[in-house]
Amino acid sequence: MSEPIPPAAAPGDAKPAGPPGKRPVYKRKLSNYLLDAKLQLPYLLFVTILSGLIAGALGWLIYNQRHTASASIVKDLAELGQGSGIDFDKSDFKEVANGLEADDRMLVYKMVGVGIGLVVILSAYLVIMTHKVAGPLYKVSMYFDRMADGRLGNVTPLRQGDMLQDFYLTFSEMHASVRGRFAEDATEMEAALAALREAGNHADYRGHLHGDFTAQLGQLEAHLAARRKQLA
Amino acid sequence: MAGPAGGGDRAYKRSWKNLLINKRYQLQFTLFMVGLSSLLMIGLGIWVMKEANEGTKVGMASVRGGDCGPLEVVPPKEDDVRPTTPMHLDDGDGSAAAAGSASGSADASGSDAATSGSGSGSATGDRAAGSAAAEPAHRRPHVQLDNSEMTMVPQPEAILPAKPVLTAAELATRLHKQQAEVFGNRVCAIAQQIQFEHLEFGRLRIFIVLLLTGLALVVGLAVYGIKMTHKVAGPLFKVGLYLNKMREGRFDKVWNLRKGDQLVDFYEHFKAAHAGMVTLEKTDIERIQAVIAAAEASGLGAHASIASLRAVLARKEKALV
Repeated sequence: MSEPIPPAAAPGDAKPAGPPGKRPVYKRKLSNYLLDAKLQLPYLLFVTILSGLIAGALGWLIYNQRHTASASIVKDLAELGQGSGIDFDKSDFKEVANGLEADDRMLVYKMVGVGIGLVVILSAYLVIMTHKVAGPLYKVSMYFDRMADGRLGNVTPLRQGDMLQDFYLTFSEMHASVRGRFAEDATEMEAALAALREAGNHADYRGHLHGDFTAQLGQLEAHLAARRKQLA
Repeated sequence: MAGPAGGGDRAYKRSWKNLLINKRYQLQFTLFMVGLSSLLMIGLGIWVMKEANEGTKVGMASVRGGDCGPLEVVPPKEDDVRPTTPMHLDDGDGSAAAAGSASGSADASGSDAATSGSGSGSATGDRAAGSAAAEPAHRRPHVQLDNSEMTMVPQPEAILPAKPVLTAAELATRLHKQQAEVFGNRVCAIAQQIQFEHLEFGRLRIFIVLLLTGLALVVGLAVYGIKMTHKVAGPLFKVGLYLNKMREGRFDKVWNLRKGDQLVDFYEHFKAAHAGMVTLEKTDIERIQAVIAAAEASGLGAHASIASLRAVLARKEKALV
């Protein structure tokens, strides 16, 4: 956000796709989703840690419950084998116990998978949602940078789905108003310049005063030309 | 929010009622986050409860599989008990038994006498005499057995096991043992019940934890979402106020953000833009002032165009106040 880039080249913004006059089709790029890490990462970290903790706690609870049941069955089988004089390690009971253990392990894997899925889904959602905030802010920042350079060009609308539409509307209105006022002032000054140049030519005097006045008019003219460029 | 002019490091205090500054953005963001988390939590909850129910069911079945045995003492039947030998004989039935016994001994003695005497006839006569003496009214038929006519059949094995018949002492031992077993079984049943309750409690605990976690997640995310978006919405609100002023042609002094606010970089960009506009106004003012001064020096101070430039100058100077 700190490096000023012209709004036309803003990441995520696209070149006008259709014929001139139509609103350009914007396409979001995956690489530009983390526009403002400072803004987006705190949300991401908070929700990731929170969902990780929740998934971990629930996983531990459910594993505990399941493991208790499995351990109870294995214990019963061992007792049954002992009572019947069967060697537990060589019997089918061992296989059953191993199966239960494998089921428990599979549950842990499932819980880890669900936890990771939860974290990934929430993180992806938050990156997208915060991008919808960071995107308009990024765009406005670039317009601010242009304004800082004294440039007041045209402002293009936000992409569909972007948030902060109200704020952007306020910014657009301000930009249009300031631009309009400077343009109006420039027009007034240009009119005054033309009238004064005319009056100076017809004035009945000569000398260094006339030279100064003409020089000031020349500087004003250059200033207004630069201003027109800035407003273009 | 900008506050009155007077210093850049004023102590700002966040108010709860002002947390929702930009409702559309804040609620949209927060509700979407809460909604998605709730959906994920419900899905996870259903799965977790399914697993918990299955685990509990398996655990309970395992506990139920361990048979604790009878929980009551089985009373002995009459035929389980062998009558004990009476210590003394009664006068009624006992006298008959005694008589029988006596006649038996008489038979034996008679028989012995007959064997030693003349033969079977005398023996029969003696037995008859003896019987007549014991049971005078009842006469028994006489059966003569000859060894040559007898077919020796081997005694068959008992098909049904003989029912054990217990003595009182054995019965007492058995009852005592049964009582001990029943006590053990009751302890086992109580242990089973405790295990059932433990498993059910585990299931219930998961449900409660799930419910509380879900609620905490929803409430926590809602509060966190509003607080975090407020930190974004606050600076945006402040910038919005300045933007409105700029739209109306006023370029006031820009104050710093509050501590803890986000978008500090963005705010710096805004301040630079604001400064850029102020610079534009100032250069215009300088240019206009220079032209007016030159015009006045040239004697064109009263020109109508100079008057219009003065109006522009006044407006621009007013904008910077």
